[in-house]
Amino acid sequence: MSDDRAAARSLTLRYLLASTAIFMASGLLGVLMRDSQAGLGRLHPNFYYAIMTAHGLGAFVGWAGFAVMGLAWWVLHEAGFPVRGFGLLLARLTWWLMVLGVAGIVITTLLMNFGASWVFLYPLPLYGAGQWGKWASALFSFSVLLAGLAIVTWCLGILTTVLGPGLHAVSKNVFNRFGVSIGFGYLWPRRFATNPRSVPYPVIPLAVIGLDMIVATLPLAVLLVIQIVEAFSPGVTVDPLLAKNILWWFGHPVVYLLLFPAAALYYWLVPRYAGRPLVAGNVIAVAWTVAVIANVFVFAHHVYLDYPQNSIQAGINTAMQPITYALVLPSALSLYSLGFTIYRSEFRWTPASAALFLGLVGWLLAGLSGIVNATIVFDVAVHNTLWVVGHFHHMALLNIGLLIFGATYALLPELTGKALYSERLAWWHVGLTFTAGMTAFALWLVQGLEGAPRRFAVLPHRYDTLTQISIPFVFVLALAQLLFFWNVVQTVRGKAGVAVFDERGIPLPAQREARRGVPTPVFEAGIVLVALGLVGVASVAGFVVGRDSASATKTVTAGSPSSAPTTTATGGSAKAGAAVFSSAGCGGCHTLAAAGSTGKVGPVLDGKPLTTALVVDRVTHGKGPMPSFASRLTAQQIRDVAAYVVQSAKKP
Amino acid sequence: MSHTAVVIAISYSLAVAICSVIVVAVWRSTRRRGKGIEVETVERREQLWFVAVLAVLAALLFGTIFSTPYGKSAGRNAQVVRVTAVQFAWSIDPPTVQAGRQVVFYLTSTDVNHGFGVYDPKGVLQLQAQVIPGKTVEVVHTFKRPGTYTVLCLEFCGVYHHLMQTTIEVKA
Repeated sequence: MSDDRAAARSLTLRYLLASTAIFMASGLLGVLMRDSQAGLGRLHPNFYYAIMTAHGLGAFVGWAGFAVMGLAWWVLHEAGFPVRGFGLLLARLTWWLMVLGVAGIVITTLLMNFGASWVFLYPLPLYGAGQWGKWASALFSFSVLLAGLAIVTWCLGILTTVLGPGLHAVSKNVFNRFGVSIGFGYLWPRRFATNPRSVPYPVIPLAVIGLDMIVATLPLAVLLVIQIVEAFSPGVTVDPLLAKNILWWFGHPVVYLLLFPAAALYYWLVPRYAGRPLVAGNVIAVAWTVAVIANVFVFAHHVYLDYPQNSIQAGINTAMQPITYALVLPSALSLYSLGFTIYRSEFRWTPASAALFLGLVGWLLAGLSGIVNATIVFDVAVHNTLWVVGHFHHMALLNIGLLIFGATYALLPELTGKALYSERLAWWHVGLTFTAGMTAFALWLVQGLEGAPRRFAVLPHRYDTLTQISIPFVFVLALAQLLFFWNVVQTVRGKAGVAVFDERGIPLPAQREARRGVPTPVFEAGIVLVALGLVGVASVAGFVVGRDSASATKTVTAGSPSSAPTTTATGGSAKAGAAVFSSAGCGGCHTLAAAGSTGKVGPVLDGKPLTTALVVDRVTHGKGPMPSFASRLTAQQIRDVAAYVVQSAKKP
Repeated sequence: MSHTAVVIAISYSLAVAICSVIVVAVWRSTRRRGKGIEVETVERREQLWFVAVLAVLAALLFGTIFSTPYGKSAGRNAQVVRVTAVQFAWSIDPPTVQAGRQVVFYLTSTDVNHGFGVYDPKGVLQLQAQVIPGKTVEVVHTFKRPGTYTVLCLEFCGVYHHLMQTTIEVKA
């Protein structure tokens, strides 16, 4: 038995430490993006999108997914399902596949400029507009394939472990054992129960996702292979709408690759801090049975706005709204159970349990905004706006993230045998993450409702004020994570001595802190004050925004007539035109050696016998697919860019 | 904000307010010692909660599912506008339409996925639909007020995605 425990320990630790490192890196990328949007350190648009691709995959799969995947091994071991033999082999293989996959994603995005976003909507990876080539595209697809395979091997490892020795006594039939593992024993005790209670609750969500992610990932693997082949032989193609459906067939369940193991961890840890078993009726098993089916049939709520003629897509989409609603059930029942487990219990408040508690709040908030997304009529207003970004950051950082932080604080002493370096730092980290994160993400929700598009390197100016207001909160959020990182590093280094636990298995504060520890009420007061301060700042900000946007409207109406072309200069400045060429995005479509652009959408400009009048006309009025730039550039800017293009095109 | 966005903002805020009260109540309850709960009663009531959640979701479903944007067809008098998207430009033909009369947009793309998002002169999102390479999407809309409407790309399409914009003139 102690061998099993040691194996599970080192396995979980390895996942946890690797994912924490990935978290710090991808978090930094997130900060860079928001800063760039606010105008602090503006990035080149393609670098912005490359960072966006790395941040999305890094934070979502490389951190949150990876971390809960690792913590799942510990939960299984502690719940009486030792990770052995083939399961252990798969668990170790998963770690390597994931680390290699993430490394490949980092290289192809940050070094090879691949910036098709983490959803890499086919056929975008093959249309790099001169920014990335076929090798970047193929290697990126291969890296994602490795991460996908990591998910599959993890699932196989989970199923091997769950259906293995832990349940062997129950039945020889593997289907029966699977039924037991997803909680059928609560519903049909005669056939599936092993004792008064079926399996421990935390096992159920793990078994559900273990099956579902295999079903969800395999089609994506095929799509990724096709993308790799197509990079080198363009004849091989897929229907773009089918590809979109395949992507989301994976892309939605992968959210539950985070949420379901997170649910398992809540089920495992919250009762420990509450000092009573999970308060759950048999009906919770009904919800998970619904989940195992519904989970893989909700993909189309990501393509609600795709409804081409002569296609059944609209019908599929309509059917997905009730199925998506069905997935509210596991969340609603879990929150009920966890809420009542805490309610009127002798709950021990530590940074770990506070993080778990606040994580449940994040779950609630993200669930509510998720119901909005799931409703077709509402989705039309918020689809691809920053609302969605606010929604999934609530989910990823304030639910899954806080759970990971809570589980880290709760389990690191157990996993390493070393006391947590500082509870004090942990309190600050949890409090600041919740308050700053809540504010920064709420601003996204507001911007989204105002129609601000997501995935814009540069947002339209009317959204600038709120973006700038969010920056201090983003910084606080980022700095708080340094506290976390430092705390983990110092704990692992054993700076606070040997871990000691109370009778419930909750780690006690390190000796040195216990003596001079600040009483909890002081911290509570501190957190409440910080929260109030943030609310104050937010209301002042709201006032300023209201005033600003009112005056901005006036300025625009008053200002536009006077900014009409009154300049009398006949010629343009080629020097100024170079800047216009780059900022207006001309190079995205046109090849011009002098500007270093290689766009292939429109005609190549090099060597063309152009006249200034012709270029001014085309830029002002557009022609064919080329849009008019009259509303985006001033008359002077158009003359400048024309002068630049005419002069540069002549150069040999 | 569009009307739909206002509805979302109000209902989401209300839901968050109610949930906050519950969260604070649960938090405060752990401060009072010695008053446990009837675990078995609470476990039985979970079925009630299950039914309640189902009922709320069913109500929301029936309230919204009949207003999807799908399958709307234009009347005979509709103005036809053909929209072609390419990496990083819109071609809108014709770029001028009349207010108060139905417009039927036929959207298509020659390269990657794009998103056709139309904002009114005040910056309020009026409609959006995905533009899929090699397929045609039909969207019907009636512009109420004249003015210059902005078209943004609402599906990420590459390096100059955020610059992919143009305008539609709506005349009285």
